[in-house]
Amino acid sequence: MRPADAVDFALASLRQRRLRTFLTASGVMIGIGALVSMISFGKGLQKNVTRAFEASDLFTTVTVLPGGAEKPGGDPDGKPRAKAPGRADALLDDAAVAALARLPGVAMAYPDVSFPALVGLGDRREFRLVQVVPAAAVNSSALRIRWGRAYGSDDENGVVVNRTVLRQLGETEPAAAVGRTIRITTVSIDLARLATLNLASIFSGASSPVSQETAEFPIVGVTEVMAFGGEGGLAESAVMIPPGPAGRIKRLPFSSVWDLFRIRDGRIGYSAATVRLASLRDLDRVRSKVQDLGFGTFALADQLEEVTRAFRFMDMALAAVGMIAIVVAALGIVNTMIMSILERYREIGVMKAVGASDGDIKRIFFFESGAIGLAGGAAGCVLGWATSLLINRLIDLYLSRQGMPHVAYFSFPAWIFLGAVAFAVLVSLASGIYPARRAARVDPVVALRHD
Amino acid sequence: MTDAPLVRVRALARTYVIGGVPVAALAGVDLDVAAGSFTAVTGASGSGKSTLLNLLGGLDTPSAGTIEVDGALVSGLDREALARYRRSVVGMIFQSFNLVPSRTALENVELPLVFAGVDKKERKRRAAEFLDRVGLGGRTGHRPAELSGGEQQRVAVARALINGPRILLADEPTGNLDSRTAREIVGLLDGLNRERRLTVVMVSHEESLVREFARRIVRLRDGRIVDGGDAA
Repeated sequence: MRPADAVDFALASLRQRRLRTFLTASGVMIGIGALVSMISFGKGLQKNVTRAFEASDLFTTVTVLPGGAEKPGGDPDGKPRAKAPGRADALLDDAAVAALARLPGVAMAYPDVSFPALVGLGDRREFRLVQVVPAAAVNSSALRIRWGRAYGSDDENGVVVNRTVLRQLGETEPAAAVGRTIRITTVSIDLARLATLNLASIFSGASSPVSQETAEFPIVGVTEVMAFGGEGGLAESAVMIPPGPAGRIKRLPFSSVWDLFRIRDGRIGYSAATVRLASLRDLDRVRSKVQDLGFGTFALADQLEEVTRAFRFMDMALAAVGMIAIVVAALGIVNTMIMSILERYREIGVMKAVGASDGDIKRIFFFESGAIGLAGGAAGCVLGWATSLLINRLIDLYLSRQGMPHVAYFSFPAWIFLGAVAFAVLVSLASGIYPARRAARVDPVVALRHD
Repeated sequence: MTDAPLVRVRALARTYVIGGVPVAALAGVDLDVAAGSFTAVTGASGSGKSTLLNLLGGLDTPSAGTIEVDGALVSGLDREALARYRRSVVGMIFQSFNLVPSRTALENVELPLVFAGVDKKERKRRAAEFLDRVGLGGRTGHRPAELSGGEQQRVAVARALINGPRILLADEPTGNLDSRTAREIVGLLDGLNRERRLTVVMVSHEESLVREFARRIVRLRDGRIVDGGDAA
């Protein structure tokens, strides 16, 4: 028997039992649809996160940590833990940051400075950490300033804010926010007055050494909020200010009591510094140089392997869910094929009587289950794709109301579809093995007597 | 008979085990069938007629004894070789016609050619020719349900002949037909036998037809030949 004829016979038989073929193929379709959307969701997530990280230069960023004991994990502005802690006496001051900037392979180094402040716009006020960021970092590609511009120099009197904080401050139009004035209110302590007071009078509020000071800055730029937190820490603080004006704001010289434990020879130093690499290739070299200076380092690139492993695990978990549907579909195929054998018992006998070999019969049934898999698999791809688009649309609809940009949560590389169809056919063929063998073993004498 | 017979059956036995009890359907049959003969096998129900025919047709395998066709041993062939034998050496027709109901007359007739791997166009051409030969040239597109019993059996005859078999085996071919149609069908087999020297072995218990057309009558009782056999 020619393979083309076996296919013809298989299709003719499927056509004859249209409803059952449709229902069985639907089982495969749903299984493959679930698998396709699950895997494409996993891939989409991975792609989005990786892309966001790459766009934000997070992989080329090394966080430099001063020596000594690490802060507890519960610290509100907790820095990541260094892989190798630095020397206890290493002080991260301006001289150290300058030394970091001079290391070969380092594009830029600046201290991580932030301070708590009450940020006000119009009649609304919010507590925020204001981050001091040099102009060079704000101008880097990591930050997506969609409205307005970055401040041009470290001394410019202007701030860059993100869209989320604007909304919280009551401004829903980022474009309209550019040029408006933002108020930054900080707290400082008059040390001279503190010395002459006792605790009771401080807390009673009488002649408190604590004073508030408000400075005003025009908003020069607004950053887009990226999904998956792709701003990479820079814009998390929501308000960025250049070092120049930041230095003129009266404020406490520390943002957390933990910082006070780092005092060496009366100097606090910075709690961390950011080093931008010229290229990811320089990572190891720069890191070992930084460690030679006595500092601890943390690089997200180190975590990449763990992240990749986590994604692989998630892919497997998602695929496992899809597999349940596939197993159910496979059982459906086995059931359908066995039913088909019972119904066509006599026909199988006739085919054998006129010269069909066991192999011919096997092939016909095998192609039948394969065809169910092919049709179900192809339809499953369409179903999975359409469902994913629909879900994406609904999520977008919801998120767009919160001002979030459109994100493709599902990723459909061609291999997903090809793989899904191939997998469906493979599963169907496997499901057809037992029924095909059973059909091939039919005794023609018994079958021809069968009614 | 000086020529070597086309079919040579020796000590043929077929035992079925039914409910753990062995039942001998054939218990030692010796039979020679000459090329170009028209042999009728008769006997009561359960005498072993159909078992003998199924063994000759390669649908069943014997428990003991040998079958030789055209000098080649058929008994003992493996499943694959038996399938080849069925599609090239023998043609069979049955009491209940055994046509595939979902296929047209033409498609039923071409079925053996499909398993022989013949090209589609050639298949169609030959099937139409054979249908024409059995007088159904105008009914190629009809399905079995749209044909009368006699027409269905004619389709079955065309199907049995399309591969050019050496022997035509007919298992109660008239059992489901009225007497007039039955005569027509056996007459068709008789014509093929006379004009084309086709060897026919027909199982039937319709004495009148058997006596009218068969040149030789073999009687079976309880799995043994009681009349018309070839005692070794």
